[in-house]
Amino acid sequence: MRIPMVGLLLATAIGTSALAADKRPPLPTYTQAYTPTTVDERGIWMEADERERAQRDSRSLVKDPALNAYVRGVLCRTVGEDRCRSVRLYIDEVPAFNAFMTPNGAMVVWTGLLLRVRNEAELGAILGHEFGHFELRHSLKDFKSHRAGTDLMAWASILVRNSGDIRYAMVGQMYAFSRDQEREADMTGFQYLARSQYPSSAAADVWEHVMGEADATAIGRRGRAQHKYVAGVFATHPTDLARATYLRAASIEAHDVKPAAVDTHQAAMAKWLPIFLNDQIKLNDFGGSEYLLATLADGTGWTTSLLCARGDLYRERGNPRDLVSAAQFYQEAVGKGDAPPEAYRGLGLALLRSQRVAKGQAALANYLRLKPAATDAALIAKLIS
Amino acid sequence: MIAFCRAIVVALMAVIAATAPAHAQEKTGVKPGFVLRPGTARIVLMRPSIRVGAQSTGGMYEPNADWTDQAKENIGAALAKAQAGLGNSVVGYVEPVGASSAKVAEYQELFGAVASSVIEYQFFKGNRLPTKKRKDQFEWGLGPDVRTLPGLEAADYALFITTEDHFGSTGRKVLQVFAAMARVGVTAGVHKGFAGLVDLRMGELVWLNADMQMGGDVRDAEGADKRVRQLLEGFPGKPVEAPVAVTAVAAAPPIASAH
Repeated sequence: MRIPMVGLLLATAIGTSALAADKRPPLPTYTQAYTPTTVDERGIWMEADERERAQRDSRSLVKDPALNAYVRGVLCRTVGEDRCRSVRLYIDEVPAFNAFMTPNGAMVVWTGLLLRVRNEAELGAILGHEFGHFELRHSLKDFKSHRAGTDLMAWASILVRNSGDIRYAMVGQMYAFSRDQEREADMTGFQYLARSQYPSSAAADVWEHVMGEADATAIGRRGRAQHKYVAGVFATHPTDLARATYLRAASIEAHDVKPAAVDTHQAAMAKWLPIFLNDQIKLNDFGGSEYLLATLADGTGWTTSLLCARGDLYRERGNPRDLVSAAQFYQEAVGKGDAPPEAYRGLGLALLRSQRVAKGQAALANYLRLKPAATDAALIAKLIS
Repeated sequence: MIAFCRAIVVALMAVIAATAPAHAQEKTGVKPGFVLRPGTARIVLMRPSIRVGAQSTGGMYEPNADWTDQAKENIGAALAKAQAGLGNSVVGYVEPVGASSAKVAEYQELFGAVASSVIEYQFFKGNRLPTKKRKDQFEWGLGPDVRTLPGLEAADYALFITTEDHFGSTGRKVLQVFAAMARVGVTAGVHKGFAGLVDLRMGELVWLNADMQMGGDVRDAEGADKRVRQLLEGFPGKPVEAPVAVTAVAAAPPIASAH
């Protein structure tokens, strides 16, 4: 009799201590196969369904099953198996840092995001944020906020003399509402991450790297690198600095030490890295691309595809010194033994433009030998003859 | 009180007069020399784009799923009725699944872009492109590859239809009255639509009808009939206003495949 009693007491003690330890705010209530009922919500779902059709039929959609399975896997490991199951995932080849979720539960991930996150946890942080928007039904709330705001502005413009200030305040309020929602989604995403196998510190890491890249872009464009803590009146999101700061504080408070797991991000991206890097190089953002290549090289060392991309980046900027650097990067890539034919093409073009004609033509001849059916074969052959 | 009402009416009239459409705008264009003889062509109706919603007080579009569903049904039925008036067989397009669906979506988008260009650069006389200035010039097209779309092999023409309705909410209408008193022009409601016929052998746009202020409430059957009549106004075949044979309605193939 005594032993079960002790056991009961112990169990109670453990139970209460576990309850006491979990001071984390609860997750939104999960509803399976949620169906909208109000006029407004059904309307925006209908619109979202139409847009999803277009997204599904888009040419820029990345259909690779392996990459889709990887991203879905990260989403499921972040928000949980039950929540992620109904999500339709679309990977869109757009070289910018973005992902979004539509009110009807379709998630769109841009390839620029996949290129920028450095591990599964960082990807999970962003996907969790987007899922937070969906689960908290932010599109609907934003729609209503906009409608109420524009209604008031319309009335003010007619009924109030010199209503400029009122209208300005209303616009400001609509943007402030949007920023509040972003903060809420940040914290909901953070809760998913903290409850998952991933370290919650990754949420802040993402924004620190985004700031790093923004600085590099600004410096590359002779601009001024600066980050503000307070968002402007017309900002839809809190500033990157603010997000990095409150997410860092939250992760320190959560103090979730988790065993390091095998990270499959680099393996999943290997096949697509040259393609996504090529998209990035075309953005004409030397500073940002150079920063991105350096962060990628931090994780993997200077691999062949990173060296080729860096060669392209320098060759496209095309100062005499850049052409010398570009040729060196291509040479290094070729030296690794697994370079694609395009490395010879880049090398040849960079050398030709540096007045090193014989060596350049030799490299281009190599390119044509390795890829005789290249679309630019005729053009390159002209350069050799 | 009467004076007050009269003021409202006068102000409203002023608003209506002020916001009346620019009369310089044309609504219909036909490729010169194009005629569609009745009973000679097989026309495929592409998936119509139909959006129906309300307009909030501030002018925002509020999509409405029920109204859109009703409109899709009504317009489909009205088109089936009107097809006898077109004098040619009209069948609904069966959307392919899988890889070809992307191509179909691209052509839907392309048609939308071409149609907007026609409205912008041809129907507005003062805004015409240098190559569209001469009288009876109407050269627009989607390119000859449009015929390679799966399911269009046996067809001669593709018919595209787009309608968009934002019904002015009560709030918007009240605002309109008050705005009129303050001598500010506020419009209530957006009702626009366009229909176009593409020659599938050449890929040319042979007819386009666009109206930014259409009539007919697409949420009910009669309104949809009126809307479809307006959409098909100037259709180069048999005039649509011709009496509709009841038997033709029963025999009409289903073209209400709006999904």
